[in-house]
Amino acid sequence: MENTNLSRYTVSFGISLALASVADGVLVVAKEKSSPVMSGMQRLTGHHWITHSAVILLLFVICGLVLAQLDGGKGIKITGGRLICAVLSGVAAGGLIIFGFYLIGD
Amino acid sequence: MNEVILMAHVFFGVACLLASLWVFVEALNAAPGHQARIRKLSCLGAAAMWTAFLIAGYWYVVYYKSDKAIILKGPWPVAHNFFMETKEHLVIILLMLVSYLPIAAAADLSVNKEARRVVLWVAGSAVILALMMEGEGAIIAMGVKVGLLQT
Repeated sequence: MENTNLSRYTVSFGISLALASVADGVLVVAKEKSSPVMSGMQRLTGHHWITHSAVILLLFVICGLVLAQLDGGKGIKITGGRLICAVLSGVAAGGLIIFGFYLIGD
Repeated sequence: MNEVILMAHVFFGVACLLASLWVFVEALNAAPGHQARIRKLSCLGAAAMWTAFLIAGYWYVVYYKSDKAIILKGPWPVAHNFFMETKEHLVIILLMLVSYLPIAAAADLSVNKEARRVVLWVAGSAVILALMMEGEGAIIAMGVKVGLLQT
């Protein structure tokens, strides 16, 4: 474990943000390429976008809370530089999947 | 009513952008006296973005269908096929970024340099993404306009 001055929630929700951003992009591809996924999402709340938003936001909150409880409630310990790298990589990956899909994949 | 909802979502989106930019500038010059303002502004940015998101979501689900039909019949179908499709999903990432900002800004940024760097990168990313959302929104509105002008 590394020494860090970051709070456990700063780290856990930062990693959760990265994961949820990638999941956002992956879910776009899944629902656009698979009609059962799309119709299932539409059935669940009445509109695929409402289901999409709810799934990603719940993932963000739940992952953030769960990751904060790791290591006996101390959370994950990483340096600020690594956390920034994780957040930016996740956000960029999610954004690029979405842009790339609608640019060339759809 | 439709137009009021549309304008309100832009207003709150811009409020989120400005609050995130303010947090970025305050964090650049973080001092003990700035901390309360940084926390309040990061919460304000998140609240503005949640309001914009909920208003825009309601408008998108209830009213967008007719605009979409106009765009797709007009000369700029890309306004929906690319710009609206990417905007409606990228905005979720923006919402998470600004929701994360108050968590990261809870530390004392004048003494905690790691937390300060995290806040700077997150606030900076939120500003860039919010500007992209504003730009995409303008293109979507133009797509409706040129579609209506053609008919």
